[in-house]
Amino acid sequence: MPPKEPTLTRPLRRSFVKGLLGSTSFWMVSGHSHWAEALAQEAQKPYQPTFFTPEEYRFVEAATERLFPQDQHGPGARGLGVAEFIDRQMESPYGHGDNWYMSAPFVQGPANLGYQLPFVPRDLYQKGIAGLEAYTRQQHGKSFADLRAPAQEQILTALEGGSVSLGDIPGRVFFEQLRTNTMEGAFADPLYGGNKGLGGWLMLGFPGARADFMDWVNQDGEAYPFGPISISGETA
Amino acid sequence: MKIFPFLAFAGGIFALSHQTAFANDDKTALIEEGRYLAAASDCAACHSIKNKPEYSGGVSFTLPIGIIHSTNITPDVEHGIGKYTEAEFGRALREGIRQDGSTLYPAMPYPSYARLTDHDVHALYAYFHEGVSAAAIPTPENGIRWPFSMRWPLMFWRWAFSPAPAKAQEKTLHEFADAQMARGAYLVEGPAHCGACHSPRGLTMQEKALTASDGTSYLAGGAMIDGWIPTSLRQENRTGLGRWSEQDIVDFLKTGRNMQGESFGAMTSAIVHGTQHLTESDLHAMAKYLRALQPFDQTQPNWVYDPTATNALHKADVSARGAKLYVDNCAACHRTDGKGYPPVFPPLAGNPVVMGKDPASLVHVVQAGATLPKTEAAPSAFTMPDFMHRMNDQQVADVVTFIRHAWGNNASAVSAEDVAKLRKAMPPRNMADGDISLN
Amino acid sequence: MTKKHADAIVVGAGWAGSILAKELTEAGLSVIMLERGSERATAVEGAYPESIDELRGAIRKRLFQNLSQTTVTVRNTIDQTALPYRQLAAFLPGEGVGGAGLHWSGVHFRVSPEDLRLRSSVVERYGEKFIPEGMNLQDYGVTYAELEPFFDKAEKVFGTSGEAYKVNGKIVGNGNIFDGDRSDNFPLPVMKDTFTASTFRAAATEAGYHPYSLPAANASRQYTNPYGCQMGPCNFCGYCSGYDCYLYSKASPNVNVLPALRQDPRFTLISDAHVLRVDLDDTRAKATGVAYLETKTQKEISLSADLVILSAFQFHNVHLMLLSGIGKPYDPVSNTGTTGRNFVYQTITSSRIWLPSSKYTNQFIGAGGVGVAIDDFNSMNFDHGPLGFVGGSPVWVNQAGVKPIAAAIGTGGGGTPRWGSAYKGALIDTYKHSIGVDAHGSNMAYRDVYLDLDPTWKDAYGQPLLRMTFTWKDNDIRMNQYVVSKIEPIARAMGATKANLVHLNAGQPFDTRHYQTTHLGGGAIMGTDPKTSALNRYLQSWDVSNVFVIGSNAFPQGMGYNPTGMVAALAYWAAYHIRTTYLKSPGPLVQA
Repeated sequence: MPPKEPTLTRPLRRSFVKGLLGSTSFWMVSGHSHWAEALAQEAQKPYQPTFFTPEEYRFVEAATERLFPQDQHGPGARGLGVAEFIDRQMESPYGHGDNWYMSAPFVQGPANLGYQLPFVPRDLYQKGIAGLEAYTRQQHGKSFADLRAPAQEQILTALEGGSVSLGDIPGRVFFEQLRTNTMEGAFADPLYGGNKGLGGWLMLGFPGARADFMDWVNQDGEAYPFGPISISGETA
Repeated sequence: MKIFPFLAFAGGIFALSHQTAFANDDKTALIEEGRYLAAASDCAACHSIKNKPEYSGGVSFTLPIGIIHSTNITPDVEHGIGKYTEAEFGRALREGIRQDGSTLYPAMPYPSYARLTDHDVHALYAYFHEGVSAAAIPTPENGIRWPFSMRWPLMFWRWAFSPAPAKAQEKTLHEFADAQMARGAYLVEGPAHCGACHSPRGLTMQEKALTASDGTSYLAGGAMIDGWIPTSLRQENRTGLGRWSEQDIVDFLKTGRNMQGESFGAMTSAIVHGTQHLTESDLHAMAKYLRALQPFDQTQPNWVYDPTATNALHKADVSARGAKLYVDNCAACHRTDGKGYPPVFPPLAGNPVVMGKDPASLVHVVQAGATLPKTEAAPSAFTMPDFMHRMNDQQVADVVTFIRHAWGNNASAVSAEDVAKLRKAMPPRNMADGDISLN
Repeated sequence: MTKKHADAIVVGAGWAGSILAKELTEAGLSVIMLERGSERATAVEGAYPESIDELRGAIRKRLFQNLSQTTVTVRNTIDQTALPYRQLAAFLPGEGVGGAGLHWSGVHFRVSPEDLRLRSSVVERYGEKFIPEGMNLQDYGVTYAELEPFFDKAEKVFGTSGEAYKVNGKIVGNGNIFDGDRSDNFPLPVMKDTFTASTFRAAATEAGYHPYSLPAANASRQYTNPYGCQMGPCNFCGYCSGYDCYLYSKASPNVNVLPALRQDPRFTLISDAHVLRVDLDDTRAKATGVAYLETKTQKEISLSADLVILSAFQFHNVHLMLLSGIGKPYDPVSNTGTTGRNFVYQTITSSRIWLPSSKYTNQFIGAGGVGVAIDDFNSMNFDHGPLGFVGGSPVWVNQAGVKPIAAAIGTGGGGTPRWGSAYKGALIDTYKHSIGVDAHGSNMAYRDVYLDLDPTWKDAYGQPLLRMTFTWKDNDIRMNQYVVSKIEPIARAMGATKANLVHLNAGQPFDTRHYQTTHLGGGAIMGTDPKTSALNRYLQSWDVSNVFVIGSNAFPQGMGYNPTGMVAALAYWAAYHIRTTYLKSPGPLVQA
């Protein structure tokens, strides 16, 4: 059963936030009273994936870093914790496709009529990674994570272009899933495990969860003056 | 000849039924009057629990002397006050003496109710016997420690401090030439029992002053109740109602909100069960009376808005202690200028709650959050979230200190130790009882 | 067991339902309002700062319909097999108390007066032959003057901020010169311009157009409405569309109507109640009540009522009518039948303009209903004669608060990288220095664009899904292209270093994978002829006179404006006639 968001009959904020992070144990076990300290403490431990196998996790780390690389603009997916974010999301209702219509029959049709596969995000990752690892081994004789950046880019380009099929899953579908979740992990609130140190927001100049611009509605083209803050109160 | 008695009989019936109808109208009016007085006296705040029959009691109070429970005051014969005669009812209400002669704990504000007129007691008696449904619900045992679990020592307490009803009535009714002021005094000092929370108490918990004529300590601010500090209702400029207009007071009692501030803590229940039901004319009378109470603290300089903090924040200068936390957590609703968006989100600049000597209410609002009362005239129950998980003790101390210093508030700083101590005495968090504001 | 009875049952707890429930309880009726989704509480789910969460809000779509229970199928043409809309994308119907009124952005328009009589207006100006073959162009059957008091009432309930042009025939301000006359000003003063909006305003003026401030149901200051419900002031936090407003400053049924309605003992709201059908008596001309599924227990419950109000989302209303047998289903081949007829959408494209890197557009600052628009190419405000199409678009900068995940997912494509280092650079530049400009246009009705029941797929309750047959038509594509071409001179005047003007292309089918708009319309339209409309001018079913169907389903065409203001006005209009006429003598308000 996918974890459910707390309902209105259980409004306490601790259980509420617990649902957000996607980790079922975090808030209950740690008993923290203060969000930012609790998250900081959590961040110090190396993350152990719960959905992905270690090999799958290596793939996700490597592929997302290629999609969103560390460069002159700032941190990449690895530094932002994107793989951790995706692993946590797979354990959330989203990973189970909780609000997707998943009734048969599954009939394939023109692309513009949308997604018609019988797979939820967890399936897409497991099948997609297995398929792409097989493709990579066939093409290069080793695992995706062990390839050099240009070779990885070449594979991702082929995947995006639609020339790779991954068994049950069109390569392009998997690529879009991976790309979307990468951007989510880079820019979602750190509560979900990504956007470490608010690094994603710093790059964009996005101020986060302060949500008050009454004094700054129109600065005639000047930048907004304050740095970001997260839901837990972490600032950068 | 035969027809006469018949006519007389018929006429008799007519007269009788007419009379009965008349009596019923009178009775209905009396019960309605009692209902109004019960609201004015805020009986439900202590004697009613949500989802249980009205006035069936069972509300628990944690007092320094232990845990006590309010009683069932429905007309149920076994568990309620069904067996009380009107005289016994009046004695309980005004003198704190139960039917069996023992003394009520003074959590029941009989020192204030002593002021109730005989007529009003009559109306309340009619209401509580014929306007309220009987509920066979026993009152829970009080968890009170010895020696206070014996009721008799309270007799001395009562003799010492509770005014005899006749004397009390005289006092309230006679001191005001102006009828509106007299009405205001009667309501505030009597049924509304404002002093029960807002007057300071002596060593044995008696209110130091029970009426305006007892001295300026009357309504000069009370001791902490459930984590909240009742403010002074006198005319202190900074910590009292010195800058509230008559209309501000009326709006507050009617809707729990006005241009100066908003209700929280125990006052919310007093507004929901009590004051919102009062007529405009009674509310104005109360406001007028309150506005005539000279300040207890005569030394307070007038509050004047100081824009220094505002100007700094507008320049993105957050160097002052707690300023950045204020911008990150509070300014969204209370504004960088501290003026809030009244009557929706209250001002912090010049707010008596903020400037009080004891910061407990302010700290507790930050820690526990608050929900505005939903009233008939103002159904929007705006809710401030709690910030306990977003800010640690030091941060709460810093932000509260900023609020107490800025905008001319000039109140004392608060330390992390103060905040930690208050966290332990924290009232239940917002909506922790599952009563969720659905607006 | 006897059925529970209410004088009126209202299906759906959004704007239309809340307005009808309020009006009917005011008239003394007992009202049960049924809502498929759950209760929503700003104090819990919308609380600051947790609600400031793009992932939970706009990305995971917390406030939107749970498709796992029920969805629609979509196809472009009659000869295709429609396929299920399995993931929320192109349009986002709401779910839960407040409905779409909780997750909307807050643009609160009235209507262009000519749009209410678009067929008459086009015929008068360009002749009957101007109407393309296959276009079911129709009038609403109600005039702007008739609706004006109800637009006014809705604005006062919503606490709408704006700047009027004309009040009682007198020019009072710098509002939209194309607006209809108003009986009163907006209840709240206009919202401030963001930097991007003021840039657009200056440039549009320079280009010779007539810019105006969008009317916004985002409160420019604290407000108490006629129901005693209060709103906070909008501080441009940008979390409007897809969120419940933590500041209580975006109008919603939850903030503006329900707090008062919930105090009325005649009113009952039942959430988690999925209505399965309206029950009809043997004559099929009278509704006896509704049947709903208590979704938590899966128990079916019947209620009886004298009056049934369908006020669910546009296509849910049509779906319920089809499932219940209200009206004759539309047949595109013979162009007969009315339930499902004139299904319409809007023709919207978003373009982007880049300013020099010294200018920060701070796109995260904004409000859903706030911006600056021009109506010079909307409705009948320009000469269509030489252009040969019907309809038009407002053009605007409506900076509603651009958030990072949406920006990141949307950046790239069209020949520019969608990932990698160059993409990152483009994303940062676009986020910091660009401005979005939208053409938010009309969409005409066509004979072969309609709604019916799907023959294959079913919802979680065993009922057939609704089927949409929809695609873009030449008329609307050319309209869009024309209007987008008018953005270029504005972009130049704004000092653009670069512009990406986006328009529809001929032959491009409707694509369900990308968000366009949730402004769906038609399918059960109002009108004057029972042969071509499902509802009379009071939104009463021609066929079942104790059923009123309130919503954008009543629009014969998709208009250039956002629909909520029009839906609210129609709700008050219908309620007024129910209260003043129908309740005194139940029966058809217009003889067929």
